[in-house]
Amino acid sequence: MPRVTSNNSDDEAQLYCEKSEWQDITPIPQYDGINPIAPIFYTPEYKDATEYFRAIVKADEVSERVLQLTYDIISMNPAHYSAWQYRYRTLVALKHPLDVELELMDAFAIKFLKTYQVWHHRRLLLTALRSSAPSPLSIASKELAFIIRALSTDTKNYHTWSYRQWLLAFFDDEELWEGELPYVERLLETDVRNNSAWHHRYFVVWGRVRAEGEIDVGDVLKREIAYTKDQIALAPNNPSAWNYLRGILEHTKTPFNSLRTFVELYSTQTAPGEEDIVDLDNPKPGPGAQLPCAPALEFLADIHEEMGGEQTKKAIEIWKSLGNEYDTMRKKYWEFRVKEALSV
Amino acid sequence: MSSSSSSSSSTELSIPLHVKYIQSLGENKDDLIYHMTSHLRLNAIYWGLTALCVMNRQDALDREEMIAFVMSCWDEEAGGFGAHSGHDAHIHATLSAIQILILQDASDKIDVPRVVNCEPSKHIFHSRRTLPEMLTEGLPLLVILSLQQPSGVFAGDAFGEIDTRFSYIAVQSLSLLGQLDKLNVDKTVSYVLKCRNFDGGFGAVVGAESHAAMVFVCVALLAILDKLDEIDQETLAWWLAERQLPNGGLNGRPQKLEDVCYSFWVLSAMSILGKLTWIDADKLIQFILSAQDPENGGIADRPGDQPDVFHTLFGVAGLSLLGYPGLETIDPAYCLPESVTKRLGLRKNWKALPKRT
Repeated sequence: MPRVTSNNSDDEAQLYCEKSEWQDITPIPQYDGINPIAPIFYTPEYKDATEYFRAIVKADEVSERVLQLTYDIISMNPAHYSAWQYRYRTLVALKHPLDVELELMDAFAIKFLKTYQVWHHRRLLLTALRSSAPSPLSIASKELAFIIRALSTDTKNYHTWSYRQWLLAFFDDEELWEGELPYVERLLETDVRNNSAWHHRYFVVWGRVRAEGEIDVGDVLKREIAYTKDQIALAPNNPSAWNYLRGILEHTKTPFNSLRTFVELYSTQTAPGEEDIVDLDNPKPGPGAQLPCAPALEFLADIHEEMGGEQTKKAIEIWKSLGNEYDTMRKKYWEFRVKEALSV
Repeated sequence: MSSSSSSSSSTELSIPLHVKYIQSLGENKDDLIYHMTSHLRLNAIYWGLTALCVMNRQDALDREEMIAFVMSCWDEEAGGFGAHSGHDAHIHATLSAIQILILQDASDKIDVPRVVNCEPSKHIFHSRRTLPEMLTEGLPLLVILSLQQPSGVFAGDAFGEIDTRFSYIAVQSLSLLGQLDKLNVDKTVSYVLKCRNFDGGFGAVVGAESHAAMVFVCVALLAILDKLDEIDQETLAWWLAERQLPNGGLNGRPQKLEDVCYSFWVLSAMSILGKLTWIDADKLIQFILSAQDPENGGIADRPGDQPDVFHTLFGVAGLSLLGYPGLETIDPAYCLPESVTKRLGLRKNWKALPKRT
């Protein structure tokens, strides 16, 4: 049988126990000296590699070949956190270029998008690169572009999104932040109901820590309200957009009543006719919209409750209609709201 | 009254089938899935055992064998449990081990097994000893406490992944071991509170999107630490109620698909908040039951999919909180039978729906 030379990277079929450069290592089996109650029968390749890994860990070896070994193990089992940990330690100890490692892991991260360890490893790399690389910002900016590529395969992936948010906050540089809003808008153009994108919008616009007076909150709020109204007009029954609207009003302590005209357009039975005057501040629901929409009714009831007095009765009427007709699934919740209001 | 004919398997909980399904899981060790999931083995045993407890069939798995397996997962050097014998210790596996030993009422009877490690020089224990002795030595305790980060959140292992899930696991472990007094409660709670979002929900880390599973860990953590008064409960409970979809199932985030496991994540948080009545229980019960495998037992993430032990537990646990007849009540803060948390004096002030008949 022809032997493949040891430096050939296509040499994947070969077991570690067959490789000449690993002859100095005595592999350690998983069940050394014990009689397992529930033995695991792994594939020969995985069993072989992890036996050599155990030996490496025991010897505390720091070498280039550890990188190949750990790479093989995490390729077979990306959740093997000990292999990840040992790999990172080795990279640092060898002063291995971490940007090269980052690139090496690109395809891997996309393949194992849902594996937590994949993103944590990148986080460790970026943390180290920020203080060691000659131009950390360009690396971070490249990383943001990579995350966009990863998210394009799953636009709601939880770990990937929180990694992006961590990266932005960690580097906290205008150059990195400035691309975020256009990115969110591109995502919402494709899918206006993407809750992860709405969440990210909040994170970028309101979550970022800013110096006093750095931005005019009034201007930002105006822009955000206008944007959200437009998105609601496109898809009136989208809870993510309504939640965002509520969130920014509460955050800026703006009364709900300030949006009354807009909300009423979505709380009536029928869409306003074409003949009505076009009000750019209050975009109307499209012709096919399902009206009234429940989030708008809920919003309107909150306005009534906010105003208090006689208006509380109107709020109660709306809650009853939600419980009996428009949102029967949550009847008990609407009954609770009615009861609370009556007990005041 | 509902029909009791065998063809109505989708409308009633098939307890005997699910018991058989859980029993069968350990038998197929040649199965590829068995190997792929070895890093979750101890968790899977906890899921299976707890599901059996909820169905009042704790006896369906061999107790002695299970205890021996758990103890074989002890990672001597790290001072915690791995997910499988020979695996490195992880905080999640450690919690599962503690839960299993408590469920089996074995915490004072077991000998720590012979050391399974390959480094005799590093052995901390020279002889066999009992779990309480081991715990008095403070080993798992120290390891758990050492995972807390300066920000207050916990890491899962020495690799350093951080997440509110690990905070919850640490808090529950310490609580079960009666060691909460060693925890820096304020720091732990303050990180959790920072994970609160504009929609009222909680994410896995600061800045991350609200997610029902993360809401569960945060709310249960706050319940165990008696800190529920720190949050806006009504907005949160409303966000949770909004997770119910027209087919009765619950999702984890807006615009995502329903999944049986959220029957537990969402319901547990709501029962801790005392707002379980806001859910349409009839519709949710129907949804969970429709995800049963009527032939081989087990519950899947949604109807028609392959069942697994994870969804089987969270399906029956959800049914238990909804008052489904014939089930033991699950404690939503610990995901252990209520009888167990009562025995330990750990039951908090949560409310399941009244038992149906």
